[in-house]
Amino acid sequence: MSSDFEPILMRNVGVAKAADLQVYEARGGYQGIRKALQMSPEELIDEVKKANLRGRGGAGFPAGMKWSFLPKERKVTYLCVNADESEPPTFNNRVLMESDPHQLLEGIMIAGYATRATVAYIYMRGEFTEPFHILQRALNQAYAAGYFGKKILGSDFSMECYIHRGAGAYVCGEETGLIESLEGKRGWPRIKPPFPAVAGLFAKPTVVNNVETLCCLPHIVLRGAAWFTAIGPQGSFGPKLFCVSGPVNRPGCFEESMNITVKDLIYGSKFAQGMIGNKAVKGVFPGGLSMGVLTGDELEMRMDFDSPRKFGLLGLGTAALVVFNEDTDIRDVLLNVTRFYAMESCGQCTQCREGTGWMYKIAQRISLGAGRREDLDILVETTRNMGMMPGLSICGLPDGAAFPIRTLVEKFRAEFEQHIVRQEPGKVERVLRVLN
Amino acid sequence: MVLQAALEAGMDIPHYCYHPSLSVVASCRLCLMEMKVPDPKSGELVWMPKLVPSCQTPVKEGMEVRFNSPAVQQNQQQCMEYFLLNHPLDCPVCDQAGECYLQDYSYRFGQPTSRMVEEKLKNPKKDVGPRTLLYQDRCVMCSRCVRFTDEIAGTHELTVVNRGNRAEIDVFPGLPLNNPLQGNVVDLCPVGSLLDKDFLFKQRVWLLRETKSICPGCSTGCAIRIDHNEGVIYRLKPRFSPKVNDYWMCDEGRFGWKYLQDGDRLTRPVVRRGGEVFYPRWEDIPEIINYRLRKLAEQQTPTAVVLSPMLACEEAWLIASYVRALLPQAVLVASWLPVQGAEQNFPVGSPAEKARFTIRPEKCPNRRGVELLINKLGGASSTLEDLIKQVKEKKIKAAWITGGYSQRDWVSKELAAAAKELELLVMQDLYANALTDNSHVLLPSCCWAEREGSFVNQAGLIQPFERAVDGPEGTRRDGQYLYEIAGYSGLYRAEKVRERMAEQLAEFRDIYVAPDPPEHQH
Ligand SMILES: Cc1cc2nc3c(=O)[nH]c(=O)nc-3n(C[C@H](O)[C@H](O)[C@H](O)COP(=O)(O)O)c2cc1C
Ligand code: SF4
Ligand code: SF4
Ligand code: FES
Repeated sequence: MSSDFEPILMRNVGVAKAADLQVYEARGGYQGIRKALQMSPEELIDEVKKANLRGRGGAGFPAGMKWSFLPKERKVTYLCVNADESEPPTFNNRVLMESDPHQLLEGIMIAGYATRATVAYIYMRGEFTEPFHILQRALNQAYAAGYFGKKILGSDFSMECYIHRGAGAYVCGEETGLIESLEGKRGWPRIKPPFPAVAGLFAKPTVVNNVETLCCLPHIVLRGAAWFTAIGPQGSFGPKLFCVSGPVNRPGCFEESMNITVKDLIYGSKFAQGMIGNKAVKGVFPGGLSMGVLTGDELEMRMDFDSPRKFGLLGLGTAALVVFNEDTDIRDVLLNVTRFYAMESCGQCTQCREGTGWMYKIAQRISLGAGRREDLDILVETTRNMGMMPGLSICGLPDGAAFPIRTLVEKFRAEFEQHIVRQEPGKVERVLRVLN
Repeated sequence: MVLQAALEAGMDIPHYCYHPSLSVVASCRLCLMEMKVPDPKSGELVWMPKLVPSCQTPVKEGMEVRFNSPAVQQNQQQCMEYFLLNHPLDCPVCDQAGECYLQDYSYRFGQPTSRMVEEKLKNPKKDVGPRTLLYQDRCVMCSRCVRFTDEIAGTHELTVVNRGNRAEIDVFPGLPLNNPLQGNVVDLCPVGSLLDKDFLFKQRVWLLRETKSICPGCSTGCAIRIDHNEGVIYRLKPRFSPKVNDYWMCDEGRFGWKYLQDGDRLTRPVVRRGGEVFYPRWEDIPEIINYRLRKLAEQQTPTAVVLSPMLACEEAWLIASYVRALLPQAVLVASWLPVQGAEQNFPVGSPAEKARFTIRPEKCPNRRGVELLINKLGGASSTLEDLIKQVKEKKIKAAWITGGYSQRDWVSKELAAAAKELELLVMQDLYANALTDNSHVLLPSCCWAEREGSFVNQAGLIQPFERAVDGPEGTRRDGQYLYEIAGYSGLYRAEKVRERMAEQLAEFRDIYVAPDPPEHQH
């Protein structure tokens, strides 16, 4: 794999005191916003459009296009920074915020200028205590240096920035759940239309962007769209962070272009350096849990926005891989996956609320060695009866539940069936009697 | 929205979260439909591959949608299985049975069996407020109740706690559901989750008969329904009335009628002459009254007619026009006005012009009706205070006074003292008081639920109400005996009287009857 990739977003990772304003500035920081302020917001949006910067929060929606959905006539615009990062095995936002908080703040300023935002709210995952303190400290420094507040760097641009800490709900990472939560309400995603760009936070035009998306902005502004599109495959331009976890030799967060494959990320010497004890890979969730699972035979998949579809997956997601090895009982994987969505469904939409709960119950029984063949069919059917794609839900959480569960059952069906065949007779009835 | 249009066209589209007077959340996902959209390439209209909520989709000219496709029906069936996954199926002991949209929809759109073999989640019932119980395991999480307290009452007592299928409706610690409109959440709840303690286990709903009525509790005049069986009232429910109360009523009205079942009502007519007391038969009342009033007329006794705002327009008209026919100089007086507290607008804190519901301080249904009649009939009129003075000064010597209030202490000392001076007092009332005790002819009244007629609400709408039950043994409907006293024979029907009134008073040609909402809307 290309070894000539130079880290961009993670260039300050490992640098001593990189979270300090002086260090960040000394390494070329806050030049992007200075350059951006020389441009008009329209020029800036054009540049980001040309770079085809696609959102890193999971859906891959082009940022420049999202910004241009804002109504022309508007007095107040809010920028919400999605730092809720609750997708399982995902920690790339965390790395960015802990090791280079000013990069994010600069990205926020640029996005704020481009969208004429008056206030930026950083919605941060509640469990992120360390990153919160680091980012808050950096924000205080940035305010003191005149990067936020009134008439930033002598320009006409003014913007405030606040950090808001969530209370630990996955669904508050969904953009309208995030907005409801910011408003002080229960994080129940909203129906669209109206889209946030038209009526979002406090019913005002609102842009929601992921931390990593925003971190790309200073570099796009400084180095230009052409530089950005020279990195990675068609349609998936720019640097990307990949998290690898599971029983690998070197778990961590790595930066590469989206040309990289799952196999490289697991086995590459610059990356996870292979499996502990040379175990075989049984499967990988390559995009956080919610995109679905790959078998050990599908590791050639390229980690870009478009390839995952070809493997029956929902998309690139958060590009956080979690690997499980040959020793893993597939029933435990299913249990863990179903449990997450049953716990995190906000409970609003019928199919998501009941479907995720039911699948978890079935998975519990299967993991106790009391599965039935028809359970596998019910699981698959249930995953088809939920989600935004068939129009059966308000938000994308159940799509994210459907894909991993369905791909697990479908791709590992033989193994599930083997377990069922090997069960002692009468086990199902006995387990049900104990459970009920 | 397409759903509303479909319901108005008579279609039975299953829905839980949608309610025409609450915000659209499109969360139950039961009302989904298929819709045609332009193909991005050809521009031709084609069926969209996914379902869309009909409650969230505005109606557009030329749009094409369908509910009868396999995809739509499969979703309905799937939803019904989901709703019942953790439902205890305790219909035999559930008050809602018979008017439950979980029962109805399961039957019409669901499937007979559940494929879940695991144990159901259990969730014990909760006491969410002084009047209301929450049976959480029956809840379908439509959030109507929560939205009601947010959007209509503005009191925000209800909320959702927990996530996933453990999500439940709850109140905040120490803040029970206790607002003046809270009873509406029970009506809104499409299933047996929120129940009214007052009605709990009192009746199976299929035994109840429904009578359309108007709430007499205040001058708002909410359209209501009286639910009763075998002469006993069990509950009141609001009826949809777009000009008056939308879908709501207040708790004061909903529970304020109990006095009529108190058991100490006046039940038989009484005549007092000298020191003697007689109990005439109802049949003899017209003659007794006629005789007495004709004597007043002969002696040109100055007489007053005191019309209560508890009377129906028809009853007030019968009394006034009958007395005036014999005594053209008779003075018409509007009786005591029960006023209590200030106007309460909802959502709490909203100004009157933005209010979505208002409880008014005038705690009677028909002040405007009585005033209208007094004005339109013309001639001498007076106020209750002046009347008391006039009686003391012997300028008025006879009176026909009507009460009918739930307030037993409505007779002031001054009025009671003045009444003793009267040569003749004809008294109509519900309960014994200083006036009834000193009357020469006492005519027991019936309550509004036992009568029929019309009330004029604060906005001037003339709203008819029907009789639900009979009065206590021995009583007769006021309308009936007034009708007979006035010289008509046969059965009193308010409508017939209204027709006669309309010949004389154009206002009564235009009565307001709220339209029935679509059959399958709820
Ligand atoms: C259930 C759910 C959870 C999500 N969680 C996150 C999250 O934690 N962080 C995030 O950036 N985006 C999350 N998203 C995606 C956001 O809705 C939104 O698309 C994203 O923040 C947009 O930013 P981007 O365009 O910069 O990627 C989530 C989406 C869903 C459906
Ligand atoms: S799809 Fe699930 S998580 Fe999303 S709003 Fe509906 S119930 Fe909540
Ligand atoms: S209690 Fe009733 S009204 Fe409230 S959410 Fe549940 S089903 Fe809906
Ligand atoms: S989603 Fe339309 S009625 Fe609930």
